[in-house]
Amino acid sequence: MANTRPMALLTTIVERVEDCLVAAWVDTRTGAVLDRRAPRDEAFVTEALEAAIEVMRSRERPPRMVLLSERHTHIVHRAANDPHRVLVVVCDRSQNLGLAVSLVRMLMDAEAA
Amino acid sequence: MIASPPVATEVLHALERVPSDACGALVRTHGDGTVAGALLCERGRVCWAMSQHYPRRLSDILIDEQDTLTYTQLNEVFAMCRRDHMPLGETLVARGLVSLPILHRALLRHTCEALDCLVREEASPWAWVAHKQYGYHPMLTFSPTEILTGVRAIANPELAARSLARLREVVRPGQRGFAIERARGAKIPLAHVGCEAVDLVALGDIAVHADEVTAVAQTVNVKVTLAQLGELACASWIERDVLFVLLCDGELAFNRLLAQMAAMAIQP
Repeated sequence: MANTRPMALLTTIVERVEDCLVAAWVDTRTGAVLDRRAPRDEAFVTEALEAAIEVMRSRERPPRMVLLSERHTHIVHRAANDPHRVLVVVCDRSQNLGLAVSLVRMLMDAEAA
Repeated sequence: MIASPPVATEVLHALERVPSDACGALVRTHGDGTVAGALLCERGRVCWAMSQHYPRRLSDILIDEQDTLTYTQLNEVFAMCRRDHMPLGETLVARGLVSLPILHRALLRHTCEALDCLVREEASPWAWVAHKQYGYHPMLTFSPTEILTGVRAIANPELAARSLARLREVVRPGQRGFAIERARGAKIPLAHVGCEAVDLVALGDIAVHADEVTAVAQTVNVKVTLAQLGELACASWIERDVLFVLLCDGELAFNRLLAQMAAMAIQP
């Protein structure tokens, strides 16, 4: 039976993270987007996912990173059980960005448990 | 005389030859056998450098750093120390002539400037000469990171001073930070705050990662990168072609750094 937990995680993230543009699983080895939930499917989303894949392509990168632009917060987490699989969450930058980052981390930790 | 980045790289290579637990000097000689200069080290730390062509004396720098001092005062202490075999630095501090931070800064400046001269000399490769006795107070010796940063700053003093001023603005208690010019070659800091004891290789590795991530992330207008490396949280950003890195560890370090960076204005 297919493991549906990673997909459920994406749905949970877009429901609970305020102003979420996209939550996706990507494969940094192939550059493929494995699954995505994009409440606001803007052209920027594709660029953001490509940049996240490129950033995390090297396995020497830290497993957990947050990238800040003036408008967006990019959260990237490498999966504990598969170093090529990375969770990418992009949301509008807001006063609550610390909350969004902590929430994604908590959900990711719960998924890994 | 203006140094260039390869001078700092040359110093880096010289420091790599210093045995970590020994006491002695790396010496360079001229073709006629006379000593061009030396770099004195104890337990992997740099104590002093001398170069035949370095014109400044420690007293010149001390007076530069603290204008209430006079040559007469310093010469009296120098003579007494020589006569009675007393340690010069400790005596200057004990007599209240200079504070420890000023003495530390003056010694570091003298050592880096002399080393910068010595590296440029037409002289032999470095040769290690072991000494039998340890004699320097550890507080008045310098880590490779302090020496390399000091030598690197000689190449571009204005940029180094500006970078240090910026670091002092942003580094909070319990944090450390360093700045590296974004250029090819060895990743040697231009300035640092609190990184004296951090291994230079570790700083270089962090800088390489931060620079690579920033280069990619700039395509989506990312200005600040935060990463978690075990217990250590690291934030980096670029201002005027200088990469700044803040390091913070301890409980909730990542969240604290995130809050700080979110509130910080990045200069274009």
